[in-house]
Amino acid sequence: MEMLALDSRVLFLGQAVEVPGTAMFNSLKEIALERRLEVPVAEEMQMGLAVGLALQGKVPVCIFPRWNFLLLAVNQLVNHLDKVPIMSNDGYLPKVIIRTGIGSERPLHPQHQHVGDYTEAFHLMCKTVEVIRLDEPGQIYPAYEKALQRTDGRSTLLVEWGDYHNEK
Amino acid sequence: MTKEELIAFEEDIATEFNRGKIRAPVHLYYGNEEQLIAIFRDIRPEDWVLCSWRSHYQCLLKGVPPAQVKAEIMAGRSISLCFPEQRIFSSAIVGGVLPIAVGVALGIKRSGGSERVHCFLGEMTAETGIAHECIKYSRNFGLPIRFIVEDNGKSVLTDTRKSWNQPVLSFENSTDPLIVTYQYTTKYPHAGAGVRVQF
Repeated sequence: MEMLALDSRVLFLGQAVEVPGTAMFNSLKEIALERRLEVPVAEEMQMGLAVGLALQGKVPVCIFPRWNFLLLAVNQLVNHLDKVPIMSNDGYLPKVIIRTGIGSERPLHPQHQHVGDYTEAFHLMCKTVEVIRLDEPGQIYPAYEKALQRTDGRSTLLVEWGDYHNEK
Repeated sequence: MTKEELIAFEEDIATEFNRGKIRAPVHLYYGNEEQLIAIFRDIRPEDWVLCSWRSHYQCLLKGVPPAQVKAEIMAGRSISLCFPEQRIFSSAIVGGVLPIAVGVALGIKRSGGSERVHCFLGEMTAETGIAHECIKYSRNFGLPIRFIVEDNGKSVLTDTRKSWNQPVLSFENSTDPLIVTYQYTTKYPHAGAGVRVQF
């Protein structure tokens, strides 16, 4: 995340980005507070904010700690962010980096509304947003670097394993 | 553009649609020309305009050449017209543009810009949860945005007030400077131009 923050266009938004609350916070706590935006629990609005910020020239890193929470933002992800380049004849090319996770199951199993991997389903739903599951630690840095630097006008959805924050 | 020019533009599109020349839905305006012309007196070239599936008038009043608007409509893109040069963005999904508009306004504020965002929505959309979230967020953070609620009383053919069992809608008599409301009656159906077109 520090690498992303070197780019002045980058802004991190979500829940538990300014304050602790999820495992992902640990990767954000060294980022300057003015580059982190704690937003209300309003997932569709959060994703829409990211799209709008990107239209305005920012590169938002839009964080949903679990797939299950991102499901509440699907309208903005699938109907909007993913379709904007097509709708606008490539006139608008918003670049958003979406960060989500497969809910951890160890040491506590949070039951079925907090776990699950929907990567393949989102592969099928998205025409322009690239969906990448990060299965090994070595994939993480290059994937985020590509998401930031890509010039093809595509946004990127990066899927982390919640359990690996502790285990790998 | 004048009221007469706006009406003539939509009538031309209606003719093209009824002749089967547009192989996609169109949503036409009528009866709100004076209100929109007045609203656009406060909209500057550098401002953003975000619209729903019914946006021909906004595109024309923001300065997109009529031939360019018509070309996009003829190409089948009436319901999601986007013109980046004029900073126009539209979505065919109910409430879809609202959080995007708020995001643009948030970006302007964080950048210290002077542009403003003008977000158009229907009265049914204004009753949704996403509308209330977006208006509340914009008001509380003092974002450079206003919401223009266009009330034709219905969503497709569903009566907004009857379906919510609410004779006076949430923003109908609002004095909030963030919100502009106006009512109008259109002569066109929700979609199309009155003639059943079988493709």
